[in-house]
Amino acid sequence: MRIKVDYTRCTGCKLCEVACSLQHTGTVNPWRSRIRVFITEEYCLPVIAGPYTEAACNSKGVRVIDGRELDECVLCRASCPVKPIFKEPDTQIPLKCDFCGEPPDPQCIRWCAAEALTLVDE
Amino acid sequence: MFGWKGKILRVDLSQGSYSVEDMPLGLTRDYIGGRGLGVKMLFDEIDPRVEALGPENKLIFATGPLTGTGAPAGGRFIVASKSPLTGAIANSCCGGYFGAQLKFAGYDLLIIEGKAPEPVYLSIRSEEVAIKPAGHLWGKWTTETETLLKAEIKQEFNIWEASDTSIVSIGPAGENRVRFACVMADGGRAAGRSGMGAVMGSKNLKAIAASGRGEVAIADSEGFKKAVMDFLEEGRENNELEKRHMWGTWSLPGRANKTGTQAALNFQAGYFKPFEVFEDPAFIRDNIRVRDEACFGCPFACSKRSRIKDPDYPGTTKGPEHETMALVGSNCGIGDLDDICRANYLCNELGMDTITTGATISCAMELFESGYLPEKDAGCPLNFGNTASMFQLIKETSRRQGFGDLLADGGYAVAEKYGHPELFMGVKKQGMPAWHPQGIEVIGLQYATSNVGACHTKATLPMYEGRKDPAHHVEWTKQDQDTLAVADSSVLCWIIYHGPLWSEKPLVWLRAVTGVDYTADSLALIGERIWNLERLFNLKAGLSGKDDNLPPRITDEPRVNNQVVHLDRMLPEYYRWRGWDESGIPTPEKLLQLGLAGEAGAK
Repeated sequence: MRIKVDYTRCTGCKLCEVACSLQHTGTVNPWRSRIRVFITEEYCLPVIAGPYTEAACNSKGVRVIDGRELDECVLCRASCPVKPIFKEPDTQIPLKCDFCGEPPDPQCIRWCAAEALTLVDE
Repeated sequence: MFGWKGKILRVDLSQGSYSVEDMPLGLTRDYIGGRGLGVKMLFDEIDPRVEALGPENKLIFATGPLTGTGAPAGGRFIVASKSPLTGAIANSCCGGYFGAQLKFAGYDLLIIEGKAPEPVYLSIRSEEVAIKPAGHLWGKWTTETETLLKAEIKQEFNIWEASDTSIVSIGPAGENRVRFACVMADGGRAAGRSGMGAVMGSKNLKAIAASGRGEVAIADSEGFKKAVMDFLEEGRENNELEKRHMWGTWSLPGRANKTGTQAALNFQAGYFKPFEVFEDPAFIRDNIRVRDEACFGCPFACSKRSRIKDPDYPGTTKGPEHETMALVGSNCGIGDLDDICRANYLCNELGMDTITTGATISCAMELFESGYLPEKDAGCPLNFGNTASMFQLIKETSRRQGFGDLLADGGYAVAEKYGHPELFMGVKKQGMPAWHPQGIEVIGLQYATSNVGACHTKATLPMYEGRKDPAHHVEWTKQDQDTLAVADSSVLCWIIYHGPLWSEKPLVWLRAVTGVDYTADSLALIGERIWNLERLFNLKAGLSGKDDNLPPRITDEPRVNNQVVHLDRMLPEYYRWRGWDESGIPTPEKLLQLGLAGEAGAK
């Protein structure tokens, strides 16, 4: 099971961050959200927190998608020692998407009016 | 504390210092935030007679309890000050992310005081606040300013910090104190009206970069979540919201034109033939839209990024919105979509309000065509529809060069200089927006009585169910003005929440988020309190009931549908609904009822 991201549909409203933060913390704080939206002048890219990894990695390059150069470190879902996001701001404990429990009911998907996020069973 | 952060960040640019203060609790309850707190702070802290571009004026960036919560269409913030264009109170609202980031940084209000000796920008990263030199940014266009600052932030911190940071800035127009310069945010959003960019420029403040890692606490997070989800469900089915999402404001120029209510040729007409193509909004969308760009927490994403088919304009920008299309378009006799986009792009990048820019140039165009303004003064032939002259004058205005130096003082100054102030189409020296009042009479009353001068964000079109009966238009004007004051203070987007549209929702959001037991009645009273305090500010600034006025063209010359606006009939009735005397001054009883009795005698 995974959450499929169609970043071309994302409008950058960040309601997914709000939904995730509210679900897991009861407050609104994007830095405590397990999904973050990377905003540039040309596109908005939702990134969902994967597992924590200790290792320094090779995701330092550029990936070309739809003729657009994307930073691999931004695309990478891992929470890791060098990445500023997907950590509790106070404790630095890594965050990971849990699909909002069992059965899975990701709130980010329910709040996404642009339908940039879908739950796929594969 | 729920909703509010309870903190004010006060920056003294003259001293190069800042302080963090506690927000008095009673103030948030009585004025909510945003526009309400903005006027309360200004009323208490400055003499309304101060020179708007002097260091004694203050510039306030105000959020509300709903800012940063994800309340649908709650992504806006307010820029409040005394306006250098009108001399009245100003409360310009703006979308984007800046308000949310200011809240996450920990502040409800940012108050800017004094004047920096050299150009600076302000960096706010939660509790890390710094005033930094901006010599290298001075003179830059607004998008370039943002790009340069983001590159610096990426360099100093990281790429996510740059992504999260929201930047507001001024362009050359604000630096040069163009009286209708705006504050631009997030690559194309604008706190457009009233010249807030000129106030920022007068303080030598080029930009503010804000990001925060804090939270906004919600009193009833489960109830809030459910209410938002229900509204999102409703939004998927709702025709009005779907139109906003699909077309933004692009469905309006064609509609206004068709009904003869489109400002055209300096309000000499309510119809402009070249705008017929916009009756199908898909014409606009298919030609210029790049993508939808939402403000923080807005599922409707009405804002559209657009491009121009011209290699000389390689960038993209947001808009043009309906108001822009009317004022730099039909009102200047310009009907070509790409030309309108060029003008919109230039104004955004140079940091000038598109509406007032259009109102100013269209006024000059009529003066020129009437033979009052010689070509040698204007420096170019200024007939209606002359796009080359328009682009030249937009650039000159932003630099206060040549004839642009006069234009930079606004349309009223131009019309007065050439001996025909009656040809300036505005209220309180601020140009009227897109809807021609002779097409919809009550709009005239709304323009005339607005505390900030003629403005599109302070009125509700009488087109909705529950607003159509002319017998109640004056009463509803008062009521809707108060309702919008609450929306602007919460802060909610007036485009979604105005008049009868979702009128029950602000109460739902405010109660769930703040935990304060607001009622429909208490919110109505707060809205009325804010409106009256703004009125008191204006009266002390030297304005009077005489300024609740319309150009004679609107009241005396039937230009549209053979109608004039009977302001003389509506205004006394409006004052009665307001509880003001016949000269437009709030009565002591009204002020007592609103808890403003003390304010009337102050200063």
